[in-house]
Amino acid sequence: MKRHWVSLLTASTFLVLAVSGVLAFVRPFSLGIVGLHSLMGFVFIALVALHIGKNKGHLNRYVRRRSLWIILLLTTLLTVILVWQPAPVKALLGLSKNLGPAVDRFEVTEEGITYFYHPAPDYRLKLSIRTGSGFDPDNPPHLAVWLENASFYHIKTLHEPEGDGGGQLPYWSFKRDGWEEAKREAEAAEQSDGDVDAVSAPTQNSSFDPGDYLLPNPESPMTYQVMIEIKAAAESGGAEDAPSLIYKVEIDNADPYVYQLFELVGYPKKIEDTEEKEEWAIYYYDEPMSPALELIDSALLTIERVPEN
Amino acid sequence: MSEKDSKTDRRDFLQNSFLGAAGAGLAVASTTHVAIAEEKTTPKTDHTNEVDVLVVGGGTAGVIAAIQAGRAGAKTLLVERGSQLGGTTTTGGVAFPGLFDAWGKQVIAGIGWELVKESVEMDGGDFPDFAKVPQRHWHNQLYTNQFLYAILAEEKCEQAGVSIAYYEFPRSVAKTETGWEVDCVGFGTTRRVHCKQIIDCTGGAEVVGLLGFPRLREEERQPGSFLFKLGEAHAPGREQVHRVYVHGADSTSSVTATEANLTGRKTILAKLRKEKKRLMHLQPETGFRESFRIEGETIVSVNDYTSGRVFEDAICNAFYPVDLHTKQGVKPKPLKPGTVPTIPLRALIPKGSRNIIVAGRCVSSDRLANSGLRVQASCMAMGQAAGVAATLAAQSGTTPLEVPLEGIHRLLAEHGAILPGKA
Repeated sequence: MKRHWVSLLTASTFLVLAVSGVLAFVRPFSLGIVGLHSLMGFVFIALVALHIGKNKGHLNRYVRRRSLWIILLLTTLLTVILVWQPAPVKALLGLSKNLGPAVDRFEVTEEGITYFYHPAPDYRLKLSIRTGSGFDPDNPPHLAVWLENASFYHIKTLHEPEGDGGGQLPYWSFKRDGWEEAKREAEAAEQSDGDVDAVSAPTQNSSFDPGDYLLPNPESPMTYQVMIEIKAAAESGGAEDAPSLIYKVEIDNADPYVYQLFELVGYPKKIEDTEEKEEWAIYYYDEPMSPALELIDSALLTIERVPEN
Repeated sequence: MSEKDSKTDRRDFLQNSFLGAAGAGLAVASTTHVAIAEEKTTPKTDHTNEVDVLVVGGGTAGVIAAIQAGRAGAKTLLVERGSQLGGTTTTGGVAFPGLFDAWGKQVIAGIGWELVKESVEMDGGDFPDFAKVPQRHWHNQLYTNQFLYAILAEEKCEQAGVSIAYYEFPRSVAKTETGWEVDCVGFGTTRRVHCKQIIDCTGGAEVVGLLGFPRLREEERQPGSFLFKLGEAHAPGREQVHRVYVHGADSTSSVTATEANLTGRKTILAKLRKEKKRLMHLQPETGFRESFRIEGETIVSVNDYTSGRVFEDAICNAFYPVDLHTKQGVKPKPLKPGTVPTIPLRALIPKGSRNIIVAGRCVSSDRLANSGLRVQASCMAMGQAAGVAATLAAQSGTTPLEVPLEGIHRLLAEHGAILPGKA
C-alpha cells in the first residue's frame, strides 16, 4: 500500500474514533456507538503499525529529538490521571449521558460507601452507606451488595467482597452460587434444546438480565430487593464465629420511592435439617451478638427516574 | 270440604278450564288436587335456652370465644348459620391461619393456637420456625386441614360444655332485666334464648345491627376470594389452593352472599371451560374480607396500628401487614421492624351498648387498620378476649366494659393467651 494511502486511512479512522468517542460521552449508552468506537480502535492500531512501518525514516529523526520524550511523558501523565480519576475528572465524567449498562461504579470514602448503578438511561440507582463507629477504613469490612428478584433469587451482585469474602459472607455466597447454578443449568438446557430464548428471553421468571427485573413493566409490575451482607474484618475485631448481618430494602419497580432506608433483617444461619444441599436462611437478630452492628450507621437507596427528554 | 276450600276449587276449576282451552297438557297438570296446609300466624318457639353467654357465629373468632366462655364456667350456646364450625378457616377454605408470630417471637397463643396446633400435629403437618425471617409474611401461616379443624373445633366446644345450634341465626333481639331475649330461626326450628351476654362473631356485626347500634361500611368493599383447585387433587393441610377474586363480595345478607357465591362459581366455571381441566376442589362459599365494622367505644386507626400503639386497655396483640385488596390486587404494606399492634377492649364494645361485645373482623377500626386486623390469628385472639370479658361480666352481673382489666388479663393468661407487651 502506498504511503499516502496509509496516512489518509489513519487520519480518517482517527476522525471516526474521535467523533464516536465524543458521541459515546454525550449520548445515552448505545451499543452501536460504543461498538463502532471499540472496533474502529482495532483498525486504527493496525493502520498506525502500518503507518510506522512506512515512515521509519521520519520517525527515526523524531526519536533523536528531546520533544518526543516530553510528549510521551505528558501523554503518560494524562493517561494516569484519567485512569486514577481524581474528583475533577469524576465530575467531568459525571456530565456524560452515557449511563447505560456499562456504568456501574463503586466508591469508598471516609464517610461511607457509595454505589451507582444505571440499568437504563432513565433509571439511576444510588446506594449510600454511611459508616458506623465500628467501621475501620484501614481494615474495611467484608461487604457484598446484590439484587434479588421478587422470588428471592439473586439476579446481580453489585459489589463483590475482596477475595470472594473468604467464606465470611455465607448468605451472599449461597445466593450467588444458586444463581450461577441455575444459569449453568439454563445454558445446558439451551445447548441441548437449541432454544436460545430459554436463557436470554426477558421473561420475568427466567431471565438472567437484571434489567428485566429492575425496569418497570406497566403490564406486570413487580418488586425486587437490594441486599447487603456485612461483617467486620478480623483485623478490626471481627471474630471468626460472629455472624454477618443482612440489611434489605424492597423496591416496587413500577413505582419506586425516591428514598428508601435499608432495614436490618437478621443474621444468616445454615438450616440444619436439609440433607441434600447446603441451605441458608435469615434469622431474627435479637441479641447484641455481632460487632457488625456498629459497621453501618444507615444505608439509603435513591432511585431517580430521569425523564427521557 | 270447608267453604274456603270449596271456593278455591271452583276458582281453580274455572282457571284450569280456561287453560285447558289453551293446552290440554297444562290443564291436566293443573287439575291435580293439592291440599293447602293451615298457615300459622305466630311461629311456635320449639326450643328455649337459658344461658350466661350466647355466641352468635361459629367462625374463626366465635369458636374460640365459645370455648373460652365454656372453659371459664359460663353456660354457653353457640349459634351458627352454617353446617360446621370454623367459618373462613373451614367453609371459606382459608385454612392457613396466621399470623401468630412477629419478629421472631410468638405474639398470639391461647385457645386459637391450641386448636390450630392440635390440628396440624394430628394431621402430620409442619410448623414454621418463628425464629426464621419469612421471605413473605404469609410464609409463617400454618397449613391446616380444614376438615379436621372443623371436627376438632366441635370436640373442643363439646368438652367445654358449649351447646351448638347449627343452621340458625338471630331474627330479633330484645333487652331484658338480666340481659337479652334472642329469637333465633333455623329451617324447621325456632329458638328463644335468654342470655346475660352476647358475643357477636358474625363477621359483619349482624346482632349489633339488629339492635340498631351504629356500624361502619365502605361504599366499595374489598373483593372476596372463592377458593378451588383445578387439574390436580387438593392435599388439605399441605398447600394453598387456587382462588378467584369476587369483586363487590358482600356478606351483609343472604341475598348479597348469594350474589357473591353465584358470581364466584360462574367465574370458576368459565375458567374451567377455558383451561379444560378437572375441577378437583371447590369451597362451599366465598371467603369474605369486608362488610360492616362496629363503631366502638374507640376506633383503632391505621396510625395506631402501624405504630404498634399499646392501648391502656389492650387485651391482645395483632400482627399482619396493612393488606387492602382492590380490583388491581393487593400490595401489602409491612409493619416496621419490632412493631406489634394491639387491640383495645373498647374496640370490641359497640358505642353506648351494654352486655354485648364483638370479636372478629367487625372490630371497631378504620378501613386500613381493619385490613390488617381482620386476619385469623388476630380474630382468634379477639375471640378469646371477648369470651373472657363476657364470662366475667355474666358472672359479676356487669357489662364487659366494666370488668376490671386485671381480671380479664389474669383469666386470659390462665388460658394460655399472650398478653400485649408480654410476648
